[in-house]
Amino acid sequence: MTNNRPFLGFGLGLRTDHYQHVIEKKPQVDWFEIISENYMVPGGKPLANLDKIRADYPMVMHGVSMSIGSTDPLNMQYLKDLKTLIQRVEPYWYSDHLCWTHVKQTNSHDLLPLPYNEATITHIVDRISQVQDFIGRPMLIENLSSYVTYNESEMPEWQFFNDIAKRSGCYLLLDINNIFVSANNHHFEPVDYINGVDIDNVMQFHLAGHSYQGDMIIDTHDHDVCDPVWDLYAIALKRFGAVSTMIERDDNIPDFPELRAELAIAEKIAADVLTPNELLISGQPVLQGAA
Amino acid sequence: MSALQQLQHEFIDYLLGSPSNIASHIQSTRTYSAKERLNIYAYAYTARLKEAIETDYEKLHLYLGDEQFDQLLERYVDKYPSQHTSLRYFSASMATLLREEAPYNELPVLAEIASIEAAFTDSFDAKNAKQATLTELAELPSEAWESLSFNFQPSLQLLPFMFNSFAVWKALTDEETPPDTEQHEHTNVWLMWRDIELISRYRPLSEPEAAALNIAVKGDSFPTLCEELLNHFDEDETPIKAIGFLQTWVQEGLISKFNHE
Repeated sequence: MTNNRPFLGFGLGLRTDHYQHVIEKKPQVDWFEIISENYMVPGGKPLANLDKIRADYPMVMHGVSMSIGSTDPLNMQYLKDLKTLIQRVEPYWYSDHLCWTHVKQTNSHDLLPLPYNEATITHIVDRISQVQDFIGRPMLIENLSSYVTYNESEMPEWQFFNDIAKRSGCYLLLDINNIFVSANNHHFEPVDYINGVDIDNVMQFHLAGHSYQGDMIIDTHDHDVCDPVWDLYAIALKRFGAVSTMIERDDNIPDFPELRAELAIAEKIAADVLTPNELLISGQPVLQGAA
Repeated sequence: MSALQQLQHEFIDYLLGSPSNIASHIQSTRTYSAKERLNIYAYAYTARLKEAIETDYEKLHLYLGDEQFDQLLERYVDKYPSQHTSLRYFSASMATLLREEAPYNELPVLAEIASIEAAFTDSFDAKNAKQATLTELAELPSEAWESLSFNFQPSLQLLPFMFNSFAVWKALTDEETPPDTEQHEHTNVWLMWRDIELISRYRPLSEPEAAALNIAVKGDSFPTLCEELLNHFDEDETPIKAIGFLQTWVQEGLISKFNHE
């Protein structure tokens, strides 16, 4: 594994349902991940709650609307707002998805997949470079759950993912559940994906639950993490070492203590797979400075 | 147009229900055709947008009932594809649709209920501003009053109603049967703003106070505000009334700054 990867420990996605509990009880969680767009607002309670919680916990920022793969021009107003929020939150890092969301003046509000080929890599590397230059820090990109494969795809997703990271200098947010979902939907072995991803570029893991729709799995984030995804997580830890890990829950959200108990499963698996030394949290702010 | 651009345009056209050749770019498998796979995205697109509107217009939903509200959502999603990066702003044109389009414009209370719900959303995350105090008002030099104007909280909104929509909204909020709709003789103006505890407040305004506040939020001066009040009060009464309104606005935290030459 890489020696200089920061390890934040085990975190959760910050959700409005849990604001009160987190502010009042200050539960033990190593860090929170926020959805950037929820706080790209002029003022009021969202930012007031964010500031209160940030005072007590490390944070990372996770976006859903950068549309890094779109063929529309980059949305500079969005990037300005993102940069303003980054300056406010001072996150360890910021991330978005390897997808497109917006084209022809229309936002799908969905993470739409890309054809995996050389032309798309060139397009995205150029755009990630623009974003990183503008923000002044490297970003993380996350693999999707997807339901279609384009005829124009010429390589497996992990190779696409690796090439973009290598050429743009960005890092990877590896969503273990998304690997499981896409493996089912596109009939590949999830372990092949994990073994195909370059070790040094992975900065964060996501874990989540999903739902079945016939034979297809939909990435709904409305269930607990299932056993096969926990198994994959253990395999990923063996390959990548200690990687900052969090659970995303976006629907059917349980009380905070229940979600915290689920995170303890991740902690237990990591304790079984890794040495105590590997699990020491390295809390230095990272990824500062130019990309 | 690049191949990727063509692909994305066809994909978004498919989501919007427009003619599209995107299925010819998608691999079918033994269990799912290209179209079935694409329809997962098409369904999610509509469902996500509808859910956003449902969250923003709970009382309108209650008033219309499930079936009619769902028809309204279909109409809205078709007419106003989302152009913003955040769903927070997707439903902002709801009152406009209800005001402009049949059959909804035949029941004007619908647009007014929507405008109340949108006002709460706008108040919730409006920009923060400091609150001017009565002490600052009292310490203004006497010559300041001739040019005195005001900055207000960005959350402040003046909501005009032709119908008893606030009473309908309040009943729906309190889970009571809403009253029959009634048209007012004159437009009633309600004030909404967010207080220092970040709670959205609202109250009805008398006709003179609405007129005065309307002048003040436009940036006109205190003397202009007093001139307007001469349409409502006699000359002796006007300064006291004007000062009274101003003190109330300061006490309620509506004013963020006093300006004078």
